[in-house]
Amino acid sequence: MGDRPIWEQIGSSFVQHYYQVFDTDRTQLGAIYTGESCLTWEGQQFQGKAAIVEKLSSLPFTKIAHSITAQDHQPTPDSCILSMVVGQLKADDDQVLGFHQTFLLKSYSSAWVCTNEIFRLALHNL
Amino acid sequence: MGDKPIWEQIGSSFVQHYYQLFDTDRSQLGAIYIDASCLTWEGQQFQGKAAIVEKLSSLPFTKIAHSITAQDHQPTPDSCILSMVVGQLKADEDPIMGFHQIFLLKNINDAWVCTNDIFRLALHNFG
Repeated sequence: MGDRPIWEQIGSSFVQHYYQVFDTDRTQLGAIYTGESCLTWEGQQFQGKAAIVEKLSSLPFTKIAHSITAQDHQPTPDSCILSMVVGQLKADDDQVLGFHQTFLLKSYSSAWVCTNEIFRLALHNL
Repeated sequence: MGDKPIWEQIGSSFVQHYYQLFDTDRSQLGAIYIDASCLTWEGQQFQGKAAIVEKLSSLPFTKIAHSITAQDHQPTPDSCILSMVVGQLKADEDPIMGFHQIFLLKNINDAWVCTNDIFRLALHNFG
């Protein structure tokens, strides 16, 4: 897949890594955030790696599995990568739910970190 | 609403303006994009104001109405604003469909422009 744009390679690589860590041990997600990272989870704001990891670790389920339906990646003028993910998830024995999530990635000291993240369940009454 | 963070005021103001313009005359949306803007519409990439406006203007419906269910806004380290919108739309006499859209806004010469725009219909088969 060497002919995919670099931002798509980095974006999809990050997304795959994120959900893999989330689904196996989400307490380990700290490495992808910085002290300035912002998370909005179902409308609630969290700032900084510690607060974000605390929120994700304390989500009330034991088992979680994400499945990605679609993902889009774009380069931004400030050399960041913007990613939008649409998918489904299953927590414990709950019903499958849709979700959408956005990530903004920035390169710091040769590592791509997540500076901004927004998550919402797809609870539309369609 | 003076106590909302500034990025939330700017973000929600932009979002309201965007859908209002989209729903009344989307050929006028050019002013919010620049030549470096990227749009990904249902997985297809468009670059630059002209290509983006051409794509939006050529979408195959006459009437369109968006309704926002939820919107979230955040400031970014490069002083941009990231917005995520979840909503529903109705095109002509088609059934109502859900959609998700994200915008990245940047202040260039005292005006907030959209440098990145990603749109997808919500065609999930929910459990």
